Amino acid sequence: LEPTMTQLVGPLRKELADSLFSCRVLVVGAGGIGCELLKNLVLTGFKNIEVIDLDTIDVSNLNRQFLFQKKHVGKSKAQVAKESVLRFCPSANITAYHDSIMNPDYNMEFFRNFQLVMNALDNRAARNHVNRMCLAADIPLIESGTAGYLGQVTVIKKGQTECYECQPKPTQKTFPGCTIRNTPSEPIHCIVWAKYLFNQLFGEEDADREVSPDTADPEAAWNPADAAARATASDQDGDIKRVSTKEWARSTGYDPVKLFNKLFKDDIMYLLTMDKLWKKRKAPLPLDWTEIQQIESSQEESCGMGLKDQQVLGVQGYTQLFRRSVETLRSQLIEKGEGAELVWDKDDPSAMDFVSAAANLRMNVFSMNMKSRFDVKSMAGNIIPAIATTNAVIAGLIVLEALKILNSDFDQCRTIFLNKQPNPRKKLLVPCALDRPNSNCYVCASKPEVTVKLNVHKTIVQALQDKILKEKFGMVAPDVQIEDGKGTILISSEEGETEANNNKFLSGFGIRNGSRLQADDFLQDYTLLVNVIHSEELEKDVEFEVVGDAPDKAPAPSAPEEGKNIANGNKDSAQPSTSSKAAAEDDDVLIIDSDEEPSSSTMEASPESSNRKRKHHDADDAASKRKRLDQQPSDDDEDIIALD
Amino acid sequence: MIDTIEKEDNIISEEEAAQYDRQIRLWGLDAQKRLRGSRVLLVGLRGLGAEVAKNLILAGVKGLTLLDHEQVTEESRRAQFLIPVDADGQNQAQASLERAQLLNPMVEVKVDTDAVESKPDDFFFQFDAVCLTRCSKDLMVRVDQLCASRNIKVFCGDVYGYHGYMFSDLGQEHHYVEEKPKVVKGSNEANDGPEAKKGKVDPNETTMVKKTISFCSLKEALEVDWTNEKAKSSLKRTPADYFLLQVLLKFRTDKGRDPQPDSFAEDSQLFLQIRDDVLETMGLSSELLPNTFVRYLQMQKLMGGLDAPHRNFFFFDGLKGSGVVDYFGSK
Repeated sequence: LEPTMTQLVGPLRKELADSLFSCRVLVVGAGGIGCELLKNLVLTGFKNIEVIDLDTIDVSNLNRQFLFQKKHVGKSKAQVAKESVLRFCPSANITAYHDSIMNPDYNMEFFRNFQLVMNALDNRAARNHVNRMCLAADIPLIESGTAGYLGQVTVIKKGQTECYECQPKPTQKTFPGCTIRNTPSEPIHCIVWAKYLFNQLFGEEDADREVSPDTADPEAAWNPADAAARATASDQDGDIKRVSTKEWARSTGYDPVKLFNKLFKDDIMYLLTMDKLWKKRKAPLPLDWTEIQQIESSQEESCGMGLKDQQVLGVQGYTQLFRRSVETLRSQLIEKGEGAELVWDKDDPSAMDFVSAAANLRMNVFSMNMKSRFDVKSMAGNIIPAIATTNAVIAGLIVLEALKILNSDFDQCRTIFLNKQPNPRKKLLVPCALDRPNSNCYVCASKPEVTVKLNVHKTIVQALQDKILKEKFGMVAPDVQIEDGKGTILISSEEGETEANNNKFLSGFGIRNGSRLQADDFLQDYTLLVNVIHSEELEKDVEFEVVGDAPDKAPAPSAPEEGKNIANGNKDSAQPSTSSKAAAEDDDVLIIDSDEEPSSSTMEASPESSNRKRKHHDADDAASKRKRLDQQPSDDDEDIIALD
Repeated sequence: MIDTIEKEDNIISEEEAAQYDRQIRLWGLDAQKRLRGSRVLLVGLRGLGAEVAKNLILAGVKGLTLLDHEQVTEESRRAQFLIPVDADGQNQAQASLERAQLLNPMVEVKVDTDAVESKPDDFFFQFDAVCLTRCSKDLMVRVDQLCASRNIKVFCGDVYGYHGYMFSDLGQEHHYVEEKPKVVKGSNEANDGPEAKKGKVDPNETTMVKKTISFCSLKEALEVDWTNEKAKSSLKRTPADYFLLQVLLKFRTDKGRDPQPDSFAEDSQLFLQIRDDVLETMGLSSELLPNTFVRYLQMQKLMGGLDAPHRNFFFFDGLKGSGVVDYFGSK
């Protein structure tokens, strides 16, 4: 008979009890999984726990992050979690950090303090980073994630198992510019457009995220000179590209009527002149402000049954919403003063109203069924539904794996999937053997190497740093040398040192087809050799390609397809795995990382906006970083390790 | 009772909408309303009970009654997170009340310090669902029987070391809905040219399909006849945890408590004895039941009527990390 953990009998059990008492563990994240995990750790007998989270508490957290109450909204998650835990376990030794784990203060030496690290994160960038730190410090890492009813736990140990980055994960789905600007066919395209529009009008303008009709659309095969004569372009200059959307909007005083007519009438009519686009597609139908005002204002049933947000309004309703939100955002801008910019925040009512209205009006133009604000918010904010119980189960499984690690029963460790329904073998919880490291992994291989295809004449150094090394390859503060015999330094992580290089093209440094770059992130103790292949034939909107990457996949449905569950029976227990792909297809669910839109300029931004956010991160000093942490609460939503 | 939503409960307040947002996005507003109209009884406030209490309160049920006649001891206090450190000697349910209530002020949390055995039948009739932990087999069978007549859902569960089980009886006719993707035929609003003419599955559109399944009583589930050929052939695929449960329930009945590490030697002997007896009575070999135990189990059953419920046992083996759903009883 084996007794419960808190009451131990026998020599082996005593060793485990002692190690629980003396070991130090790090919990990264104090949200859904984090709260449950902290509770479980102290009840199990762990004594020395450090927890870090950059976030503050939001009311939407309260349905599951049970260490927090309404009165705590706005406060630091890590701090309040610690206080709540101490109330039922005063003898626990807990250190809380209201900070980002990607802060260079948390270096290898910091990580080496711990016998075990457990992630309770909600975004890939942080997971990649902690993965590397644990590899560098050679500390076992327990990874986990949840979404809705689904969850997953796995163990990462350098040299023995796959690391978090051994298998490529599907990247967040992006859409081609012309789909967003010219030919949307799904509500999500309109929502993305509306978010771009928000930034172009009220926030930080981004040349990569235009909203106006894309005249360079290859599908339009359209003669600019010709159409310029025909087009009823909204811009006075006659050339849409020359005046920025924001400048134009400013010139009209952010007049909602003028904005409405430009976006939903004039620009649409312009698109109509690109007639090739509409040969096989339903052509968009422009809206007219005056006409809409004249529609009998139908009593839009305020149905007391549902949530107000879940109503789908009519064109008139969204037009009113558009006008109101523009006016509100305009005054917010004015209040902030000269040169002010607003930041998109799904929890800011006017920002959300604006996107909801603009997206729906565009959906209407393109003959799509409109969506409620509730649904738009889900899509615009990348919200992942979440409940307490899934997190509770996963947190329980994390501790069980932790005990195995501390007991040196490493061969007992597993990846465990929590499904919504039992599989044909009746399993709701599916354990799978851990896989060995991928010898070609661009992170944990002995000499990681990748090959990147790009245009050396068109790629600037800044793009290499931000989009390739940071966003794609997860570095936080890269240093890059060219392997040209001279060791020319292209990028230095020291602020200001190589700033002059940022806007220069790579070719200007002699980089060409076959060149090799050595990229280092000293914090992560990570060196990556980048082989450059020059190409002038990349697809439109594609700046670079990693050779050997699987093409981007659309998000998979969230339920396991029964048809796929052909018994890969050997996956289900202690037998060696044949291939990790089999594990993914067997019983588990292909779950996509989906970074929820943060509510302000926090560190862990979604890939969409991470470029700009990371720029801010680098440029600021520590003081202002910490200050930003105290700003508006940002949502946390657990995402999951994706398996290919 | 939770099939109909009372008139007053039709409106969801702003406060609820904000707090329950992330779960409404998962199981829908309707399910949230049903939860909000449900009164639940929870028996037993040890580790498992505390977890169940937390989960139900956070989910936003109308009322939760915490019933436990036992007193707080050092052991029970260390097992759960609702009892304050200075509460030794108090009633366990009473000691858990304050922290439980703070989890969600919108839920009515009540305490009952009586022993569940002493409760008359009609006590249970005020609830929509009953969750039983740490109860004797006889009590569970009795409660299950009388609840069945009133369409009250019954859930039983326990944790033993590294093992755990949950049993559910949702009645002879349990209705639920399943979300299925809608297949759209003909050209529709999506302007995708020629493709729009073909019928296609629109990932964004789903339809709700109504279903009904039946559950058997706990008595039936525990009195499966293993001597017939069909049952014997299914033995290989039967989780050993089912037999472990039988043995542990008998231990609990005979000894009035669960096996304790403190009385390891005495208990292990008795346990093995009971194991032999129970399996022999069933006409089965003792080899069926190895000695391994439980750690964690969550009773995570929803009464929202959404999705196929797990039918009718869930067994968790913490050493293997496996969780299995299986059905015992007449089908």
